[in-house]
Amino acid sequence: MDISLIFAQFLSGLSRGMMLFLIASGLSLIFGVMNILNFAHASFWLVGAYFCYTFWYLMQDFGFGMWVSIPLAALSLAAIGWFIEVVLIRRVYNRDLPEQLLLTYGLILVIGDLIKLTWGVEDKLITRPPLVARPVFFFGMPFDSYFIFVILVGFTVAVGLWWFLKKTRYGHIVRAAVFSREMVSALGIPIPRIYTGVFALGLFIAGLAGAVQAPVGSITLGMDMAVVVQAFCVVVIGGFGSLLGTFVGSIIVGEVYAFSILFWPQGALVLIFIVTAFILIVRPWGLFGTPMRA
Amino acid sequence: MKRYWWLGLIFIGAVILPLVVGEFWVHVAVEILILGLFAVSFNMIFGYMGQLSFGHAAYYGVGAYATGMLMVKASVPLPLCLPASMIAAGICALIFGYFCVRLTGIYFAILTLAFGQLMYYIIFQWYSFTGGDDGLQGIVPPDFLFGATAYYYFTFCIVVAALIAMWYISKSPFGYTMRAIRDNADRTRFLGINVRKYMLINFVVAAMFAGLAGGLLGPFNRSIAPDLCNWHQSGVPVFMTVIGGPLGFLGPIIGSVIYTFLMAFVTGFTEYWPLVIGLIIIFVVLFMPGGVLGLAEERVKIFRSKDVKVGANESEERESF
Repeated sequence: MDISLIFAQFLSGLSRGMMLFLIASGLSLIFGVMNILNFAHASFWLVGAYFCYTFWYLMQDFGFGMWVSIPLAALSLAAIGWFIEVVLIRRVYNRDLPEQLLLTYGLILVIGDLIKLTWGVEDKLITRPPLVARPVFFFGMPFDSYFIFVILVGFTVAVGLWWFLKKTRYGHIVRAAVFSREMVSALGIPIPRIYTGVFALGLFIAGLAGAVQAPVGSITLGMDMAVVVQAFCVVVIGGFGSLLGTFVGSIIVGEVYAFSILFWPQGALVLIFIVTAFILIVRPWGLFGTPMRA
Repeated sequence: MKRYWWLGLIFIGAVILPLVVGEFWVHVAVEILILGLFAVSFNMIFGYMGQLSFGHAAYYGVGAYATGMLMVKASVPLPLCLPASMIAAGICALIFGYFCVRLTGIYFAILTLAFGQLMYYIIFQWYSFTGGDDGLQGIVPPDFLFGATAYYYFTFCIVVAALIAMWYISKSPFGYTMRAIRDNADRTRFLGINVRKYMLINFVVAAMFAGLAGGLLGPFNRSIAPDLCNWHQSGVPVFMTVIGGPLGFLGPIIGSVIYTFLMAFVTGFTEYWPLVIGLIIIFVVLFMPGGVLGLAEERVKIFRSKDVKVGANESEERESF
């Protein structure tokens, strides 16, 4: 096993990790701010992928089709998120945990069938534009150039979210709302609107993640189920509500997957769970989380 | 004892049921019993321990595979397979539960879900051992249980025995310790009770009954598939319990009756059952908090058992701590 193989595996793990980060960061953001665990997050991710396919399909005569479809899909998901928050999620803020979880669980079932009804059961494939169609070579090892794009998007979103939460006025409001809803609303800031915005932002990132995933391989039904549990592992490892934790957790899970596939292909997922369980014993609130709320 | 006359009515109704309805509805009744047992075992964790498990299907699936594989690959008779299912599910729960009981609330839900999916992937990918996504076919019940009616009575006896066992557990000092942990784990700890140990025992016992429910399923369907362990399946007892009411012992059974009847009815004319049940779940959550038993409690006196009221008050108190 030489250095070039290690480097290639590292890069593929990084791109996998960034994909997980895109999914997990929205999940973690929504949970951290609204204290609602969105089970259906990966379903929205899959919807994002299908939206990207549809937009690309409509514009496939143009060379730039895919590059435009990705942001369009993300924006569509943000609109859907806005609608779902106002119509459904808003009504269960003060409910018990099982009812909140059941609501998003119900959404999974509904979305799954709606996807089937809208796009059918066949796999969908997006033809990549020439820029990212051919592999690039590092130390003589071929590497999918599209994954470079995935890594770039992941880093951009990470920096963008960090900048938004730490540097902007709205980010400050969102972070303040995590600590005390009452205090923030006493200052005259409408909490429901903040929550709607956060949910829409979370789904925007989920849609972006789905759209970025779409050209990687074919889009298949049930793809969301495989990814959502890994996203949960990421947030559990990193600590709920922590952006840095989610970032580090994604890279850990991505790299563990990429390297264990070399030695024990069937056990890659099992190994992720072992890592998650180990971290939970040492630090039950995750690597960067704060000790849990009751 | 006078309060329980309606239980006797249900019992008699259940015994004569196969004599008055057609074979299709006997099948539905078997399914109600199996899923009801599954949901009541889930409620041991949810209603009595106060933790939401979203991976309970893992133990259901392990139980189903234990019975299925013993019957198909080793030709072990069914009465021996069922205890084996309970033991297999119990061992599995012992390993997973060891980690899960360290967490509470939403973290507990996530970790049980993650372990549930782990079990699903193990069964799904271990092709040589479990048959992967092909599932397991040809799980034929013994001759004396071959017909739908015979299997119904067999299931009925086992489910009733299991329910009585769980009822005694819930009324035992152990059951009241679980309620104490649910209502205030810290105070229970101050009494010198090892909370984690008790939670783990409860988790394992609940999983064993889920395993028993799973074991009953294989010979009934003649086949099993890894989907039994899946996340979707874990949501089923959650929904049944919420719709039936978690604080009454038989609440999940009522949920099972409602769910299974709906499924039998809806799948008759559309393949989009998830869409329908998803919409129903969303509707119930938005407009029927407390479930059917919650509604019935307000109207009908017989459902107003003492335990339900005490539990309801205590759970409100718990919120304020």
